Amino acid sequence: MFDKKLSLKNNKNLVFGVFEDADALLETTKKIYDKGIDIIDCYTPYPIHGLEKAMGLKRSRLPIGAFICGMTGFSLALTLQSYIMVFDWPIVIGNKPYAGIPAWIPVLFELSILCTAFGIGILFFARNGMIHGKIPSELVDLKQTDYRMVLALAMDEDGVDKSEVIDMLAKGGAVEIKERMNHEEDSFEENNVSFEKVNVSHSHH
Amino acid sequence: MNHDSILRPRLVDSEKSIADVSNDICRPIENKASNLWKIGFTLSVIFLGLLGLTLTYTTLNGIGTWGLNKTVQWGWDITNFVFWVGIGHAGTLISAILLLFRQKWRMSINRSAEAMTIFAVMCAAIFPLFHMGRIWVGAYWVLPLPNAFGSLWVNFNSPLLWDVFAITTYFSVSLLFWYLGLIPDIATIRDRATTKGRKFWYNFFSMGWTGSTRTWNRYEVVSLILAGISTPLVLSVHTIVSMDFATSVVPGWHTTIFPPYFVAGAIFSGFGMVLTLLIIARKVMNYEDYITIGHLEAMSKVIMLTGTLVGLAYITEFFIAAYSGVEYEQYAFINRATGPYWWAYWSMMTCNLIAPQVFWFKWARTTPWFIFMLSIVVNIGMWFERFVIIVTSLHREYLPSGWVMYSPTWVEIGIFLGTFGLFFTFFFLFSKFLPMINMSEVKTILKNRE
Repeated sequence: MFDKKLSLKNNKNLVFGVFEDADALLETTKKIYDKGIDIIDCYTPYPIHGLEKAMGLKRSRLPIGAFICGMTGFSLALTLQSYIMVFDWPIVIGNKPYAGIPAWIPVLFELSILCTAFGIGILFFARNGMIHGKIPSELVDLKQTDYRMVLALAMDEDGVDKSEVIDMLAKGGAVEIKERMNHEEDSFEENNVSFEKVNVSHSHH
Repeated sequence: MNHDSILRPRLVDSEKSIADVSNDICRPIENKASNLWKIGFTLSVIFLGLLGLTLTYTTLNGIGTWGLNKTVQWGWDITNFVFWVGIGHAGTLISAILLLFRQKWRMSINRSAEAMTIFAVMCAAIFPLFHMGRIWVGAYWVLPLPNAFGSLWVNFNSPLLWDVFAITTYFSVSLLFWYLGLIPDIATIRDRATTKGRKFWYNFFSMGWTGSTRTWNRYEVVSLILAGISTPLVLSVHTIVSMDFATSVVPGWHTTIFPPYFVAGAIFSGFGMVLTLLIIARKVMNYEDYITIGHLEAMSKVIMLTGTLVGLAYITEFFIAAYSGVEYEQYAFINRATGPYWWAYWSMMTCNLIAPQVFWFKWARTTPWFIFMLSIVVNIGMWFERFVIIVTSLHREYLPSGWVMYSPTWVEIGIFLGTFGLFFTFFFLFSKFLPMINMSEVKTILKNRE
């Protein structure tokens, strides 16, 4: 279900900019997006607000899925309760009607919530291709889940000037720049690009 | 974007970098367990053993081993059930409701509060399940399955069945919410791991997380939806628990104020327990820069507010009983305050209404040892509240021939102490193997990043 075109494996020529400052990453991503260069992804240890817009990501449609799951739960609860209480084995309890709808509200509510929560959870994992025990194939830097941020770019399109991109990353404040060439059978070659580091650490105090 | 607010104090003390956060919070997981941890864990396991022993004894010999009788059919069991469910509520309140209100101070306490929710609900579930008597059939009796003696089903008009749905939904949704929040942090530990075992297990549970922005983008949407549905869920759970009582016709239980009163009480007791745990944890695990005095103060304010709310409910109940003109209602309340269980009633009043008023003073709200003492008082008070509601309402029937006293047997006391063993065993395991503070969330609030 997840978009295969955007994975690190399906592009031949890649450039990675490694950052340690979120603002530097955000600014650079904006500039690179405006240039029309293919951004595979940004890997960050925490959600950086605004980055999804800078990368040109669309709004997630997961809320629609959540709504459908909720409605499913609601219908399930209504069917279950009316089948049991009215059709299969109706019993007079305290001289109340068989279809005592107000008394059904708690279970209607709880099952709607249950189905929404688990539905959205499953949809989320499916959409990301996440499953227990999966070995992450897309780790560029082991510190990308710790304190470093990686901007992964595809260089396959015609007319992309690699040296210009590297220059943009360098000026934007990358602490490390790497280039990768993917070979045929699941192997690749990776090199560090030497460049002059620019200190962009936004001092705040 | 990145700025220091002059209006608001920092949420995390001192100049922590992003890398510092991972180092500080992964320390207990990556290092050997401390002696303090070992002692605490051993003690908890001993009490867990007591739980196993008393539950086995109950199962083999029946509910007659408890102090319940024909008049007081609910005693310590349901008191403890409501006590533990109530404690669970603070976790969801902190992570869901405070997320909706964009209260960023929640971020360094939500993980442990959610863990507390899950463990507390596990403790709670033990009581009604075992109270049903035959646990080997009771476990599926509560489910909507046709009965073996014909097509007789569960009764959807009964609040006890609503409770089954509410508690199971609450437990499983809380677990999902907690796990989802853990995934990015589990991935952090995976990528820092130096041992084979750690690499394998954290890889297994991290589900291939890479920190991709596409994933983060969906993750935030899912978190918001889960918070949105958990908020009414948490309110519904204690509302339904209160309906176990309120829909009956027992004087003292049959009141419409119960749902909001129980919800306020749940938040009150939950925050009490969060404070008890976190004041120790921040000291023992050196998390004082993350769980700051500011956090303790904010939680103390919640305690003061909700304590006053439950106090108001106690007084309202009394007023309504007097105003109703129903002599049975009136007697139930007079009997609560002046009858043979007067000591329970006044313990409740002192602990829940009067004691939290000290938090009007700033010193009281900002002194950890004092807040710790008061959090214990709150826990005791809220236990007494449930005892008062359940036992004093039941112990004098309409006919004086049904007037009895109730006291627990060693089995009931053992089960209650045993649930503390269960709770703390899980809590100690959690503090050793999972990050107690949500690293990826705390990283977003360093330097007051907006």
